[in-house]
Amino acid sequence: MGAIATAAVAIAAGEAARRGHAIDELRRQSAEREAALHRQLAEQESATVRMAEETLPKAMGRLQQGTPAEEVLRGIDHDSHVGPRFEAANLDVLRYVLRAVEAQEDLRDSAQRAFVNIARRVQAIVHQQAQELREMEDRHGHDAQVFGDLLHLDHRTALIGRLADSIAVLGGARPGRQWQKTIPLFNVLRGAMSRITDYQRVDLHSVAEVGIIGRGVEPLIHAVSELLDNATRYSPPQTRVHLTATEVQSGVAVEIEDAGFGLTDEARVRAERALAQNATSGLDLDDLGEAPRLGLAVVGRLSHTNNFKVALRASAYGGVRVVLIVPPNLLTTTPAPGGALAKAASLPPPRHPAGPWGRRTAPPPVEEPMPAPRGVNGLPQRRRRTRAVAPPVRRPKPAVPTSDSASPVSAAPPPQAGLWLAAFQEGISGEPRAESPAHRRHGLSAEESEQ
Amino acid sequence: MSDPTHDRPRTWEEGGPERLYVITSGRSVAAEDGPLDVVTLIVTKKDVPGSGMQPEHAAIIHICDYPLSVAEISAYLHLPVSAVTVLLADLLESGHVEARAPIPAASLPDVELLEAVMHGLQNL
Repeated sequence: MGAIATAAVAIAAGEAARRGHAIDELRRQSAEREAALHRQLAEQESATVRMAEETLPKAMGRLQQGTPAEEVLRGIDHDSHVGPRFEAANLDVLRYVLRAVEAQEDLRDSAQRAFVNIARRVQAIVHQQAQELREMEDRHGHDAQVFGDLLHLDHRTALIGRLADSIAVLGGARPGRQWQKTIPLFNVLRGAMSRITDYQRVDLHSVAEVGIIGRGVEPLIHAVSELLDNATRYSPPQTRVHLTATEVQSGVAVEIEDAGFGLTDEARVRAERALAQNATSGLDLDDLGEAPRLGLAVVGRLSHTNNFKVALRASAYGGVRVVLIVPPNLLTTTPAPGGALAKAASLPPPRHPAGPWGRRTAPPPVEEPMPAPRGVNGLPQRRRRTRAVAPPVRRPKPAVPTSDSASPVSAAPPPQAGLWLAAFQEGISGEPRAESPAHRRHGLSAEESEQ
Repeated sequence: MSDPTHDRPRTWEEGGPERLYVITSGRSVAAEDGPLDVVTLIVTKKDVPGSGMQPEHAAIIHICDYPLSVAEISAYLHLPVSAVTVLLADLLESGHVEARAPIPAASLPDVELLEAVMHGLQNL
């Protein structure tokens, strides 16, 4: 009995111990599984975070640089910690997003291309027309009425051209016009004035005597014309806008100062933001809106590609002072260094080429000192002097005067005046005798010239 | 950007970037109807270009050391006659140049008369 009981207890204890073991085992297993699940969850979570914070932005970046979506997808490193289904799902999400963005980018790109394309065509027509207008201006230059009308048309055409240029620049295109040769800064600034509505209100003051190398010319003209346009547009019509350019340590500073209403701090921040806009972000259609924003966006774009530095400050006149710094790598010496005349590149040619003018420039050093005092005294005096000399010579021998009249003038003019009168009277009386020393001398000179 | 017009060579290098209306400040007719004609002779009076003078003005002062007709100035500066007239009107007003009326052909003495005088002199 006791033995049976003992055996039963032993069995029960053994069973209990076995079950305890089993339970422990199960607990351990479940804990392990739980840990594994936790780990998996954490990995999936981190994979999702990585996707959001790392993979997707990087893929977007590559996509915006122009890499096709499929290639971007291929370049993504595989995450081996998460299950294949999870990874596949992640990739699918990525693919959908990238494709959608790519489609969007394509759309924007083609819109941008279309804009640039249209702008280019307008530019081409405007250039053509500007050239023809210039020819017409030459052709009808003598008719003030027609000439005035042509100037008017020319001006309007230049305004259209600038608008087309602006659209092209915002579309990311290079400038339409290209200048091969260096252009003096003075002419570049006048070129900028040519493209704004109120160019008559711009006072072009002292300009540093530097040249702008060809590739910098068009962007600078365009940037300055946009700034000038803003300056004239946002200042009262009766005020002047001052344009100067001075050499500074970091290049040349082009300053535009208006007497307008000035900028509030808020407006200045906004303007500077428009200027600093990222140039690589492509065409922002909003930029094509109102004038200051369009202009500033264009200037920002041009500054970014050409390293211009633009700063807005309050002007002493109460308006805005814009300083645009042209970097030294776009500067060179002026092709025609010298005074004010040399500032106009197209002007000096008549002085140099062989032509009527070329021949004329040579004598002046010799001739110039002579006519100047005569101009003051007037012509009659000169005539009197030559008359004093010429007649006595001419009387004995009419052929001589040309060779003789020039040199003796300065040699002995005072005595001759009186002597000539004596000789004349002798001539009148019909006695060409060599009596007086003066007469002898004249006879002598006549003989000399005969030989 | 691949647009077709992009690499087309442009013939824009001739001349400066400025347009004529900037050079004449938008004027096409001289302020007062001056006595300027295509054949009017222009001579420099003051050969000292004022500071801040437009290069075109300075150029006219420079080349008119020797009397030049308006037409000649126009040719040398490659500017239309009307534009030159506007610039000359400025210079006349500031006293930098003076205009001399051309000698009208009709006022020249008769050739026969001149010959008669010449023969007379030779016969003396």
